[in-house]
Formats: sequence, C-alpha cells, structure tokens
Amino acid sequence: MLKVENVKKAFGPATVLDGVDLTVNPGEVVSILGSSGSGKSTLIRCINGLEKLDAGRITVDDFDVSRPKELAEARKRSGTVFQLFNLYPHLTALHNITLAPIEVLKRSRAEAEAEGRALLASVGMGDRADAYPAQLSGGQRQRVGICRALAMKPRYLLLDEVTSALDPEMTAEVLAILARLAASGTTMVFVTHEIEFARQISHRIVFLEKGVLLVDLPTKQFFSADGGLAQPRVAQFLSKMRKD
Amino acid sequence: MRLDLTILVPHLGFLAEGALLTLEACVLALAGSVALGMLVAVARTSASKWANRLAFVYVDLFRNIPFIVQLFFFYYGLPEIGIYIDAFATGVVALSIAGGAYASDAIRAGILAIDNGILEAAEVSGLSRRVTFTHIVLPIALRTSVRPLGSVLINMILTSSVLSTITLNELTGNARIVASDTFRPFEVYVVLLVVYAALTYLVSLGITLLHRRLNRDLQGQVS
Repeated sequence: MLKVENVKKAFGPATVLDGVDLTVNPGEVVSILGSSGSGKSTLIRCINGLEKLDAGRITVDDFDVSRPKELAEARKRSGTVFQLFNLYPHLTALHNITLAPIEVLKRSRAEAEAEGRALLASVGMGDRADAYPAQLSGGQRQRVGICRALAMKPRYLLLDEVTSALDPEMTAEVLAILARLAASGTTMVFVTHEIEFARQISHRIVFLEKGVLLVDLPTKQFFSADGGLAQPRVAQFLSKMRKD
Repeated sequence: MRLDLTILVPHLGFLAEGALLTLEACVLALAGSVALGMLVAVARTSASKWANRLAFVYVDLFRNIPFIVQLFFFYYGLPEIGIYIDAFATGVVALSIAGGAYASDAIRAGILAIDNGILEAAEVSGLSRRVTFTHIVLPIALRTSVRPLGSVLINMILTSSVLSTITLNELTGNARIVASDTFRPFEVYVVLLVVYAALTYLVSLGITLLHRRLNRDLQGQVS
C-alpha cells in the first residue's frame, strides 16, 4: 500500500502541499487532476523522495521515504516516468532500460538485456533497441521511459504528466500503452491533464487545488452531478478543460 | 644558405629518443591531469564548502603562475627543504598539476551542463552515487568536455618543451644539443617545428575522432 498522510510542503513562502492524505492500494489506478501549480507534480516528487517533506509521512509498503535507510527500499518499489523523459542521452534505448536492473538489482547483463528487449517489443519498439534517445521521436522516447521504469518491476508506477510534452499523435501512442498496463493490473499514480483518458482507465480520481486534496472519489462518482461535480471548483475545472 | 637535412641523419636516433621522452611525459601527464581534473571538478561541483574552496584555490593558483616558475620551484626549490624528485618525475608531476587546473575547468563545465532531470531519473531508480557518477555524470560530461580537454593536451605537448630547462632530454632539449654539436640550428629547428606541428595535428585529429565517437548519437544533426 502507498500511503500519504497529512503531507505538507512549501517552497519558500509558497505552500504547495497543505496537508494531503492519499492511499493507493495494489492494483489500483488513481489519477490526480488539478490545474497547473496545484501541487500534483510535487506530490509525485515527494513520493519518490526527490523532495523532502516539511511535515507528514509517506510510506511505500510501510517503508518511510523520509528515513534515509528506508528510502532505498521505498524507491525499489516505485518507478517514475517523467514529463520530459529524462533518458540518459549517451546510452541506447536498451541500455537506458538495463542500467538500473544490472547495477541496483544485480541482474546479469544477458538476463537484463533479454528482458529489456522484451519490454521494448511490447511497446512496439523491438527494432529500436540500439537507437540513442536523440534518434527517437518524443513518443518513442517516452515509451523507452516507461520501459525503463517497468524494468525495475515496481509495485507502483508514478506517472508525472507523461504526455504533456507530446503532440496529439504521440500522446495517443503513449496512452495506448498506459491503458494496456492499467488493464493488466499495474498499480498507477497518474498525474495528468488527459481527463477523458483518466476517466477511462482510473479506479479513483483525486482533485488537487492549491495543495489541498479537494475530492477523492471512485471514477464514476467523480464525474456524477452529486459526486465530484457538486464541488464548484471541480465542475469549473472540468468544463474549462473540455472546452480547450 | 641552403637547407641540407642530410647532415641530421646521424642524429636522428638521438632526436627520436627525445621525441619518445616527450611522448612518455605527455601521456603520463595527460592521465595525471585528467585524473586530477576530475577530482577537482567533483570538488568544485560538490556541496562541501571546504572542498569547494580548496579546489578553487588550486585552480586559481596554478593558472596564474608561469609554468616555468612552478617547474623551477619543484625541481630547484623543493630539494632545499629535503624533497628530491628526479627530473622526469618532476616534469610529469608539474605538467599534471598545471594541466589538471585547466582540465578541471573543462570537466566542471561538462558536469554543470548536465540536465538535472537526468540525475533525478538516476536517483529515483536507486543508482548509488558512485554508479551515477561513473556511468552517467562522467560519460555525459566527457561528451562536451572532450574538445576543451584536447586543447589542454595540445597545450601540454607544447609546454613540455620547457622541461628541457630542468635537464630533461626531451625533444627540444635534444634538439638544442644537436644544434650546438652541428652548428646547424636552421635545419635542426626546421625539423623541430615540423615534428611539433605533426604531433599536435595528430592529437587534434584523434580528439575529433573521439568527440565524434562519444557523440555518435548526434550524427547528422546540428550539435
């Protein structure tokens, strides 16, 4: 279980997370919606330990990310996919994927590469294993980014606006992969602006507003008039996003 | 006056010995200055305040003192306080220390240019600091710093001619001996000019190839 308890985070005078509670159970797909600056990405960065908490607690399968000794275990259980891919530019697609399994999980090179190739094939990139990031399109880079995270066999996949840097066509190819992962039971925390897609794949949707978790509801209820839409801020956000 | 290179034929072996010594000193000093440069670059980009300051003092100090003064200090100054090092070792050490100051600048610039997101990706995937440095930071930094490091190496080859002043019989030293033995400085130094030019040209060619190899993913793009 991934547990976020009363987490607070401020950057200087700006409060970004103001007492957030969130629980993600294994097998669940939870989407986090909210306007830019609402704290969505910061929440992900707190979960994977890139930001220190000012207050509160985050545990990944009972490993506390604020404790240096437990952070390594917590990180083994979560995988992050980034908005700007963050691939290693000097390594091929395959070696981007195999570096951590070999160095962190101490897998043999042959084994890691076989799995890496299988992952690449599963996202339709079996023939691009030896290409460098600079030789790939944005959508292809993000598919490698997803494979890199999956190669560590994480129990929780953290996705931080993974399609925001892509054009609609590339977005579609990445979302198709995420839909398949969701259907196969991968646990996901999905920060996104793709509302329709979130609606299709999520079990639950949470809505962040100015660092506060306003709504946390099963997907169906989130989009119903007496559920999430009863919150004026949510209704306003959804109608605005749909018009765009 | 006509150019008659044949008078140098009996001295070619002696000159080649000198060239070999120059090469040896430069290869060792290159290894020394890149190793030192990495260490200092790490210190300069590290969070530790005193490591930072120490590295800055080193770089500023050795870049602002003429090389020949550093060399004389090591070779003639240090024995006064009981530290004796032979001429070859002194030359290599002095070239390494001076080259290291410049190399650290090149490597530091390469490290600072690395996108922070790449380091975050390494961090969350659980890679240790050591593996992150050896497998990610250093190779990416070298992609950009290999060219400036090449200039450091070329400068080192040129500077190594100064080592003749501490009795080291490298290329320039031997050439001076041949010139005074044969009374034909014109021929001797013509050959010296050509040899240095050829040596540095080969090195810059090698650097270009290495740069291309390290950046092979960017072939055909504007880089």
